[in-house]
Amino acid sequence: MQMDDAFRDGAGKRSADPRRHEAFPGPGGVNAPVAVADTLRARSHRAMGTEFAVYLDAADDAQAQACFDIVLDEIDRLELTFSRFHSSSELSRLNRHAAEGPVVTDPEVFQLLASALDVSEKTGGAFDITVGQLTRSWGFAERQPRIPEARELAAAREQVGWRNVKLDAAWRTVLFARPGLQLDLGAIAKGYAVDRAIEMLRSVGVSALVDAGSSSMAATGEAFVSGWKVSIASPVDRALTICEVELGKRALSTSGVREQSFVHDGRTYSHLLDPRDTDPLDSATGAQATARQVLQVTVLAPSSMLADALSTAMFVLGYEHGSAALAQFTDCSALWIYSGADGITCLGHRWPGDDFLSLNTATHGQT
Amino acid sequence: MDRREFIGITAAGLGALSLGLQDCNSPHSVAPSDWVNVGVIGVGGRGQHMIRMLLRVPGVRITGLCDIYEPRFAEGRKVTGEPTAVYTEYRKLLEARDIDAVLVATPLGLHAEHVIAALDSGRPVYGEKSLGRTVEDCNCIRDAVRRTGRIFQVGLQYHYAPWYQEALRRIGEGRIGKVTHIYACWHRNNSWRRPVPRGQETQLERLLNWRLYREWSGGLLAELGSHQINFANTAFGAMPESAIASGGIDYWKDGREIPDNMQVIFRYPGGRTLEASYITTNRLDGAQERIFGTGGSVVLTHTDATYFKEPSDPNSAVPPEIAIQHKLITGPTYSAEQPYHGKGESPISGEAEDADLLACREFIDCIRNKRRPKTDEQVGWTEGVTVALGNRALEEGRRIEFSEYLGAAASASQQPPERNTQS
Repeated sequence: MQMDDAFRDGAGKRSADPRRHEAFPGPGGVNAPVAVADTLRARSHRAMGTEFAVYLDAADDAQAQACFDIVLDEIDRLELTFSRFHSSSELSRLNRHAAEGPVVTDPEVFQLLASALDVSEKTGGAFDITVGQLTRSWGFAERQPRIPEARELAAAREQVGWRNVKLDAAWRTVLFARPGLQLDLGAIAKGYAVDRAIEMLRSVGVSALVDAGSSSMAATGEAFVSGWKVSIASPVDRALTICEVELGKRALSTSGVREQSFVHDGRTYSHLLDPRDTDPLDSATGAQATARQVLQVTVLAPSSMLADALSTAMFVLGYEHGSAALAQFTDCSALWIYSGADGITCLGHRWPGDDFLSLNTATHGQT
Repeated sequence: MDRREFIGITAAGLGALSLGLQDCNSPHSVAPSDWVNVGVIGVGGRGQHMIRMLLRVPGVRITGLCDIYEPRFAEGRKVTGEPTAVYTEYRKLLEARDIDAVLVATPLGLHAEHVIAALDSGRPVYGEKSLGRTVEDCNCIRDAVRRTGRIFQVGLQYHYAPWYQEALRRIGEGRIGKVTHIYACWHRNNSWRRPVPRGQETQLERLLNWRLYREWSGGLLAELGSHQINFANTAFGAMPESAIASGGIDYWKDGREIPDNMQVIFRYPGGRTLEASYITTNRLDGAQERIFGTGGSVVLTHTDATYFKEPSDPNSAVPPEIAIQHKLITGPTYSAEQPYHGKGESPISGEAEDADLLACREFIDCIRNKRRPKTDEQVGWTEGVTVALGNRALEEGRRIEFSEYLGAAASASQQPPERNTQS
């Protein structure tokens, strides 16, 4: 592995002058920009189980309104395409019929599935869109997490495995090689929606940042005075900024245990399951507090869709294996934040140099 | 079969292939001769959406994209997933040899020109709703379909939704008594405006925001109300006799020419009424049709139907146990003059498919089996004329008698024709 990565280690103390942002709370540990020019307009919108936020620099109210309308309509369209909760969605149609035989779908859906399986392949299955049954057995899907019975877990394991999803590009078909398989695009579709929104706003020449639940975001155009800067907050103290990243050429996504987790017998279970051993990932509290555990991963990638999927995979893989997997993706970088006995530790792979220098508030080290 | 040859609409196709579930989804079972190449005239938002839907039907390929706004070509090709041939002139697309059927998704004021040319080229045509902008446009399209004998389907996709069909069946069986009123609304809280690229506002405003200008648009009643009007015409089994309307440009005063809010009351034969409301400043009520019968009610949305009983009518659409459960009969929460806030009965749920996909599947199936679509030119004509005359009532500020425009001879054709019931 090329050692351009940065690994810094040190004392996890807050600096004397932490950069505190008046940011609204988001689950992913990323604070979206708030203190920007007066002409910035913002609109939030509930979709895909999260809160989308659109910030844009429109010429006037009418253009801003029109931009919000088309973007929010597009996000709704994608929810109705990729949601497994709407029976009329394309994803639901595939989940209903793809085990019976090959189902033809449109190029947009096919391409998203192909991208998802590509990430699965390159990450050794750390990202897996078939993990839905497992997520359900742990109760995370209904946001009522619980410890499943062994038999229930074993049954769920039978219905998981990205290799059982067979795509045929020549016919544009989807086939499930195992009955009971169910696709869940929750870890990639939000990123794709951000990409589509940005694409639409770019086509009309409007500068904008689009954010899904403060975890996936991308931007287009020149932004005001200081660029589309977003701060990556500490997973243990949202007021503490780990570093700042300028969006534009690359999109950003963050995965973390903050989104959904629960504690049982001193162990913390996160909604981010490891599809390879089918147990929830253990975060760094309770019995295993002495070991370093991933609390949060942020990925920069050419598309928000890829960043979204990779942030989940990098969380599952951790720094060492994640860095190796990430080397297969062009122009992608990641920043892991680990817990440790004495605070948090940041480890980067190809993390932007300038931004890395701003790691002044957290524990960090270098390899 | 060479579909570029004459395709007649025959009864022979009616009892023909009934595709099984797997055949609905898999392209492997489609014979090479049954592949349908579709050319698309109008590749804006609606056109792109319908391309996606068509490409979910096995054995369909998009082989031509036509638009006068060049950025649509790249957008359209992204949706088709291939470097589809593009045309800036629709007549060039219609001259192409590799097109079996045509989708027309252009601005309303252009429907007649594009649909008729496509029919005259010998292809089956899927024409987006509303049928035509004026009564004359609607007449011309209907006549062209009959003159050419080609398959024509108007884009009233909710007509294919199972919960709509079930509602029509129950209404037809008298399950909610005699239907006397329908209240339809499509309430939004947005400007209905699309953003125009910076620096090109002058050149592109009317092209991209055609819905806001009279030359091309039938406004809210055409773009939104047509589905609801089609439902009312079908449920009542008739067209309206008259219309009165109110509305104006009262909130979005941005240079648009069509009303940003509109209310129309249509009177149907037998003293029945459709009251339709369209606003762009509040979305509490969203899009729904509330069908009121003497024995019960149905509330239709884009995804489901819910039935309610009239407490005084023993012939309830809601089984007694549901009525009791929701305290309709004996409970203290119901008072005769209070609105009912409880749950109703939703008989169809779980596996409903997208209405646009169902409509596209119908179109392709009709082509393969030489079958008449459920939403044919006559269904489109009744819908399109109702919309056009509802708009005229507002424009002229007076009560419009449909007979003024349709003549005495029209009364015979006001009744929707017998529908074949094949699905």
